[in-house]
Amino acid sequence: MTLQAARPAIEPLRTTQRLRCLSDEQLDRLQEATLQILEKTGVRFPSEKALAVLADHGVLVDRDTQIARFPRALVMESLKTVPRYFRLGARDPAYDLQLQQGLTYFTTDGCGVETIDFKTRERRPSCKDDVAKMARVADHLASISFVWPMVSAQDFGRTAPLHEMDAVWNNTVKHAQSETIMGAVPCRYALEMATVLAGSRDEVRRRPPFSLVVCTIAPLTQDKEGIEGAMVLAEAGVPVGFLAMPTMGTTAPAALPGALALADAEIISAAVLMQLVAPGAPVFHSEMHAWADPRSGTYISYPLDSRGRFAPVELAHHWGLPSLGGAYGTDSERPGTWQSAIDVALDAFWIALTGAEFVTGMGLVNTYTLLYPEALILDDDSYHRARYALLGMQVDDESLALDVTAAVGPGGHFLAQKHTRKHMRDVMVPSLTQSPDAGGHYRDPVEVARERVDWILENHTPEPLKSEQQAELKRILAAAGREID
Amino acid sequence: MPSPTPALQPIRPAFHLRLLDDHQQTMLRDGTLGILERVGVHCPSKRVRSIYRQHGAVVDDDTGIVRLPPPLVLEAMAHAPRHFTLGGRRLEFDAALDGSAMYVATDGCGTETIDFATRQRRPSCKDDVGRMARVADGLSSVGFYWPIVSAQDHARTAPLHELEASFSNTLKHVQTETVMDERMARYAVEMARVIAGDEAALRARPPLSSLVCTIAPLAQDEGGMESALVFAEAGLPVGFMSMANAGSTGPGTVAGTLVAADAEIVAALVLIQSAYPGAPVYHSMMPGVMHPRTGAYLGTAFDGDLLYPLGVELAHAWGVPSLAGCFGTDAVAPGWQAAAEAPASLLLCALCGAETGSGMGLLESCTLLYPEELILDTDMYHRVRILAQGIDIRPETLALDVIADVGPRGLFLRHKHTRSSLRQLRFSDLSNQPAAGGGYREVIEVAREKVGWILDNHQPEPLDDAQQRELRKILQAAEAESE
Repeated sequence: MTLQAARPAIEPLRTTQRLRCLSDEQLDRLQEATLQILEKTGVRFPSEKALAVLADHGVLVDRDTQIARFPRALVMESLKTVPRYFRLGARDPAYDLQLQQGLTYFTTDGCGVETIDFKTRERRPSCKDDVAKMARVADHLASISFVWPMVSAQDFGRTAPLHEMDAVWNNTVKHAQSETIMGAVPCRYALEMATVLAGSRDEVRRRPPFSLVVCTIAPLTQDKEGIEGAMVLAEAGVPVGFLAMPTMGTTAPAALPGALALADAEIISAAVLMQLVAPGAPVFHSEMHAWADPRSGTYISYPLDSRGRFAPVELAHHWGLPSLGGAYGTDSERPGTWQSAIDVALDAFWIALTGAEFVTGMGLVNTYTLLYPEALILDDDSYHRARYALLGMQVDDESLALDVTAAVGPGGHFLAQKHTRKHMRDVMVPSLTQSPDAGGHYRDPVEVARERVDWILENHTPEPLKSEQQAELKRILAAAGREID
Repeated sequence: MPSPTPALQPIRPAFHLRLLDDHQQTMLRDGTLGILERVGVHCPSKRVRSIYRQHGAVVDDDTGIVRLPPPLVLEAMAHAPRHFTLGGRRLEFDAALDGSAMYVATDGCGTETIDFATRQRRPSCKDDVGRMARVADGLSSVGFYWPIVSAQDHARTAPLHELEASFSNTLKHVQTETVMDERMARYAVEMARVIAGDEAALRARPPLSSLVCTIAPLAQDEGGMESALVFAEAGLPVGFMSMANAGSTGPGTVAGTLVAADAEIVAALVLIQSAYPGAPVYHSMMPGVMHPRTGAYLGTAFDGDLLYPLGVELAHAWGVPSLAGCFGTDAVAPGWQAAAEAPASLLLCALCGAETGSGMGLLESCTLLYPEELILDTDMYHRVRILAQGIDIRPETLALDVIADVGPRGLFLRHKHTRSSLRQLRFSDLSNQPAAGGGYREVIEVAREKVGWILDNHQPEPLDDAQQRELRKILQAAEAESE
C-alpha cells in the first residue's frame, strides 16, 4: 500500500464582517417588483405536472400559454415553510456542511464542455475521466468544501449526468452538487445512487449526499425537465436550488435592478412550487446575471461595472432562503492571464462579506466552458488571499511583541529574535507567486500550479467507496443507460 | 493645442468596514505610546532633536534616541487637522480629503523603465516622469500624481526636475517622495509657490505635498525630517510612511509590525505638530512581510492585504488622514500576478475610509515602470470604484413595464429601454475588445496602444510662460548651489 497524502481539512471563508450592498428599502422595493412580476406577468411552466400542482393551490394557470400567475398572498404563505439553513451531507460525515451565518463554503465550477488534456495539453471534448480526476484534485484542496462535476461526461450520452455523479462520488468524500441531472427519470436514478451511499432514504433526507442546481430560462420561463426533476428531489428531501442566468440587454432589461427582479421572479416561482409539492423542502436561491456585449451580443460575465454581482445574495436572504453565490468563471480564454486574475480577484472576498452560505465555482475559464486543470489551483490561491484578509487580526501581548521591539530598539534587526522564528511561519503564508527557484527568483505561478495538479494526482487518492457500493452504482448506471439512452 | 483633462473619479464607497474593534485599537494605541515613551526613536538630526527637547521629549544626544512622554504625543496630535485639501493646478482637480472619497495616485520613485519605443529595460529619466504625468493627466482614475520614476539624468537635483516634469504635464496635485534635504525642500516650496500664484492659495490649496519614509525599526532619516519641517512651515502637507518588514525590520507578527511602524510615523507627526501646530499631515503604513527563504520584502503576501487597511484605521485613530498602501505588486511583468494581488487591498482600504492611496503603474515591488501597467491598474481601479459605489434602484432601472411588455420567453434586445440603457452599462475598454479574426484581443497589447494614444492625443493645458520661466530659474539656482 502506498502512503497517501493526507487530505487537508476544509477551510471555508469565515468572517464576522458583513457588507450590505442594498438597503432595507431597496430590498423591499426589489421584493415588491418580484411580487408584481409574479402576479401580473407570470412565469411559464411548460410542465403539466407542475401546472396541475400550481392550479390546485390557487395559482392562476393559463393552460394554453402555460403561464402561471402567482397571487402575492400565496407566494408569501408558501415560502413560510422554507428552511433558512440545512445540511449538505458528505460521504465522510466529517465533511458534512451545515449552512450557517458567518461561514461561506466554495465549490468547483461545473459543466464545462472542453478540457485541456492533462498529458497532451491538447484541447478536446471533456469526458468522465476528467470529472473523476478533478474531483480527486478538489478532494485535496482546503478551499473546496463541496464538488460540482467540473465538466460534462460527454463519453456517456444521455446518462452523462449520472456518470458525472458516479465519478465524483468515487473520487471525493465531500458533498456532490449536480447541475446537469434534468428530468424526473434521471433524478430517480440519482436518488437511488444516493441511497446506496447513504444507506437509506431516511438517511438521504437527513444528510443528503448530493444536491441539485436547476437553471431557469430567462425571461420568466422554467425548463420542463429541470422543474419535474426538482419536484422528485424536493419530495425526497434532497436540496434543490434554482439558478437564474439572465443576460442584460437580451434576455433581461439592460438595467441591473430590472434584471435582478426578473431573475428573482423566476427563482421564487420555482421555490414556491417546491414548497407546494413538499412543504419544508430545502431549496436555495442563486442568480448569476451576465451582460450582452453591445457590439456583438456576446455573453460577458465580467464587465467593468460588476455591481450587482453579489446583490442576489442579499435578495435571497430577504426571502429567507440560503444563497448559492456566483463567483469565478473568468471570460479569459486561458488561465494565468491578467484578465483571468482581474475578473475574479474580488469575488471570494466580496461574496463572503455579503454572507453567501455557499458559492460556485472555481477552476473554469472561457466563461465556464473550458477546463485547464491548473486554473483550479490559481483560483485556490485567490481564494486563500481573500480568506486571510477576512480572518481579521489578533492583537494581544504576544502578537504586539512590545518586549521584542524594546530589545531590538531603534535601527536594530528582528531576524535573530526567538519571537521572529516562532511566528514567521504563521505571518508569511506563501502564495503561488512566491515559490523561489534555485536562483532565488520567483517561479511562474502558472507552472507552479500545473505541477501542483500533477502532484495531487500522483499522491492523493481518497478512500474508495466500498466494493459493494461501487457495484451497486454500476448496476444503477447500467439500468439508467437501458431506460434513458 | 491643449486637450481637456478628464474630471477626477475618486472612489466614493457606499459601504464601510471596520476591521479593528475598540479594544484592539486601544491596545495598539497604548503599544505605540509605550514604545515612544520607553524605547524611543533614533533621530540623527540635531535640529529635530532640539525641537523635540523644547516640547518636553527626553533626548539623549549621545545615542540620538528621543523618547516621547504620552502627554506630549497626545497634546501634539490634538493639533493635527483631520481634513484638508490637496490642490490641483486648477480648482476642479483639487482633492478634498474630507472622508467622503478616496483619491489614488500613481506609484513613484521607480528606478527603471521599459522604454516607450524600444521596449528595452533601462534606467529611468526625467522624460519618463513627464510622459507618464501626461498619461496620468488623461486618466480619471489618477487623483494626484507621484513622479512615477526617478529623473536619474539630473543627479542631485533630480527631485526638483521630477517636480518640473510633473507640474508641466498635469493639472493634478503633485506629491513628491524624493525631496530629502532642507535645501531641496526650500526650492520645491518655491516651485509650489509659483504654481499656486500667491501665499494664500499655497496654504489653502497646496499644489504640492511631500511624503517622507521613516527607517524601520524606529529611526528617522536626517534629511527627510529636515525637509518635512520646511514643507510644514510653508503649509504644504507632509506625510510619513513606514515600510517595516515583518520578520526583519519588524517583529514576526502582524500586530507587532503594525505597532512598531505606527510608532515611527507618530513620532514624526508629533515633531511636525510641535513645530508647526495645525500643519496638514498624513499617516502612511506600507509594511511588508519577509519571505522566510529569500528575506525579500513582499508587499502582497496573504497577510499583507490586511496590513494596509489596518494602517488606514490606525491613521484615523490618531485623527489624521491616511495614504493607503495599495497596488505595489511584486510581479515582474504585467499579467496574472499583478492583477491577482492588488484589487483586494485597494477595495479594503477604500471601505476602511482611506482618503488617499498610491501605487498605480509600477511592478517589481514599486521599482519598474511598464507604461501599460498604469492602464491595466486603471481598469482594476474602476472595477473597484464602481463596485464600491452601490446600486441605484428607481422605476426606470427596475423596468417593470418593460418586463411586462416582453413577457416570458421574449427578447429585450428590440425594446427601446434596452437600447437607451445598454449604453449606460460600463464595459472594460481593455478586455473583450474584438479581434479582427474573431475572439478578443490581448489585453496587455490594448493597454500598450492606449498609452500610445494618450501620448499622441493628450496635451494638458500648459503652465503659462511666466511660470515656466520661473521654474527654470529655480532649477538653475538649485543646480548652481548643488555643484
